[in-house]
Amino acid sequence: MSAEASSVVDPHAAGHDDHGHDEHEHEHPKFLAHHFDTPVQQFESAKLGMWTFLVQELLFFSGLFVAYGVFRSWYPEAFSGASHELNKVMGAGNTIVLLFSSWTAAMAVRATQLGQKKMTSMFLLVTIACAFIFLGVKYFEYGAKFNEGLLPGKYFGHAYDVSSIFPASLGFHTNLEPSEHLPAHASSYFSLYFMMTGVHALHIIVGIGVLIWIWRRNERGEFSKEFFTPVDIAALYWHLVDLVWIYLFPLLYLID
Amino acid sequence: MAHDTAAHHDAHDGHHHDDGAVHAHVSSARFYVGIFLGLIALTLLTVGVSYVHLGPANLAVAVVIASIKATLVVMFFMHLKYDSKFNAVIFISGLLFIGVFFAYTLNDTDHRGQVDDEQGTQVLPSTGAAAPGGYTPPVHHEAAKHEGATSEKGAEKPGVEGEKGGAAETVGKPATGEGHH
Repeated sequence: MSAEASSVVDPHAAGHDDHGHDEHEHEHPKFLAHHFDTPVQQFESAKLGMWTFLVQELLFFSGLFVAYGVFRSWYPEAFSGASHELNKVMGAGNTIVLLFSSWTAAMAVRATQLGQKKMTSMFLLVTIACAFIFLGVKYFEYGAKFNEGLLPGKYFGHAYDVSSIFPASLGFHTNLEPSEHLPAHASSYFSLYFMMTGVHALHIIVGIGVLIWIWRRNERGEFSKEFFTPVDIAALYWHLVDLVWIYLFPLLYLID
Repeated sequence: MAHDTAAHHDAHDGHHHDDGAVHAHVSSARFYVGIFLGLIALTLLTVGVSYVHLGPANLAVAVVIASIKATLVVMFFMHLKYDSKFNAVIFISGLLFIGVFFAYTLNDTDHRGQVDDEQGTQVLPSTGAAAPGGYTPPVHHEAAKHEGATSEKGAEKPGVEGEKGGAAETVGKPATGEGHH
């Protein structure tokens, strides 16, 4: 106990000495939190924490995927029929946008590992731009579904005037006699479609916030060859968002 | 001092953790481009395959292609291949639990409402009424519409095999005689 206490007191005794702990032969870098011995220990801890969080995210999404499995297994014709209402070209385009943004995120990490600050910023901004493109495409996809009454659960097939949100001037044409040709239980498919893509889009929005924050910190010069953990961690989150979409795209858009 | 340390790192790149600094594996830009192009190729492949009618195999093919893409992203974009092995253990055990989640749930939901002739599990022996926990299996398009009026209340009760017909009828008087011993 007393030894522990004295080691806590020590830095104070050293006054305003930035180098801190004397027992280390190396200087204590500014980015190294006082409760870590070495930068690599700090890095590994951050990565461990992030992977644990990512697995939690996967388990969270798996609830939706299991629900998808249950309902698809019960109503295969409904899923097949309803999925044809989706626009494969928009879905595939968005997949490519997201894969590209995953590549730029990986390149941003690489740039910061090499200490290339400008390149890091550039790749982060491209990643953010891709995220906005993805959401823009989703807006048009959702708009088309709303105008056709292809809505979740009990709202399925109901006429809603959403022309203020999805105006005809943007190419939305309202077709309010939908779903007659769709198989029974198609509403279950659209419940899952909106829930899965909606929660995914929420992750995209959070990701945009995280990436902007990391971009600003990079602009302030907080990262270096020696300390790039936040860029790495943020990119891991972004890759997870991509990972979920890799499964959502074929399962929702490409049913037989 | 800083320059000295950097030089020291470069000279001993093989010896990780010696100096407590982070030595991340840095892949080449060309390598990352290759992975990206691979992902695009697999995306085009999965779209292409979706136009070929393979029956139930379509789902399997789509999931396999998606899993190859996911593996590329996790191993290389997310650096799990070069990462601490413990992170890989965490990730893979997460996948195992997702497998458990799927297997147990689908094993339940895919087999509800099935009549076990020997045990009569679809029928409540005390009342002769349908046992709870079943569901009405999907029936063909026309039959579904016909059934539509009653299905709101009937959904909670176990139905019968669609082709045997008349779910509403059988719910009322189940399995004539056989339920009473």
